[in-house]
Amino acid sequence: MAVQPKTLKQAKATYSTNSELAWWVFMRVSGLILIFLVAGHIVMNNIQINVASVDYGYVAERFSKGWVKVYDTFLLFFAMLHGVNGLRYNVEDYVKNPRRRALAKIILFTIAGIIFVMGATTLWAFSFEEMGDAVRNLGGSH
Amino acid sequence: MYRGREGQWAFILHRLSGVALALFLLLHVVDISLVMFGPKVFNAFLAFYHQWPFRIGLILVMGGVIYHALNGLRIIIMDFTDWGVKWQRQMWYAVMVLTAGLGFMILTKVVPEIIRG
Repeated sequence: MAVQPKTLKQAKATYSTNSELAWWVFMRVSGLILIFLVAGHIVMNNIQINVASVDYGYVAERFSKGWVKVYDTFLLFFAMLHGVNGLRYNVEDYVKNPRRRALAKIILFTIAGIIFVMGATTLWAFSFEEMGDAVRNLGGSH
Repeated sequence: MYRGREGQWAFILHRLSGVALALFLLLHVVDISLVMFGPKVFNAFLAFYHQWPFRIGLILVMGGVIYHALNGLRIIIMDFTDWGVKWQRQMWYAVMVLTAGLGFMILTKVVPEIIRG
């Protein structure tokens, strides 16, 4: 991957496997989607508010909304696949020893898998509705 | 000519910003997941996170996002149009100018917030 293919035709000629070609296309498609998702995420949480005002109440209230769960699930899914595949490109290019390269990829995918499950659990399995109400009733938030 | 020219700088910055953003992403998913430990733990952690060195780090993350997004658009244009490669150098300068402009707008929003504390 030291020399990057510059056109779809070149990419088809460069990659010996269909999966590498599929990842090449995926990086471009997911990159385009992420521009909009990440821009919205930054505007909502860093521009429209002072990020230092973020507290438990703010996050719990956000994660109690259905559209935030869906939005953040898309963001988590595309960002993790795009980011981890990008890290994999670096491993493929710069870790020259084949055994070390294989080990580096196993470690990378294991850590990424655990973190993805953590993020998805936070979004979907944890009840912020109940937690949020409990905290509000205690007067603990805002 | 490629080595040392604009195209190589664009490539190096894209890789560096990409690695930095991917590592930030992994950290960010973990830190927001701490919300599951409840308000006491999470608020204590956020108080630590809202100190100025981390807020300057966030400015760098946003700058990296802007560069990586705009240069990513440049890559897509190079890959999928027949004129993109011919204009890649000019597009990279446009990426740098837009990154500086949007970065400056973010600085005017965030730096006063950090100074006010």
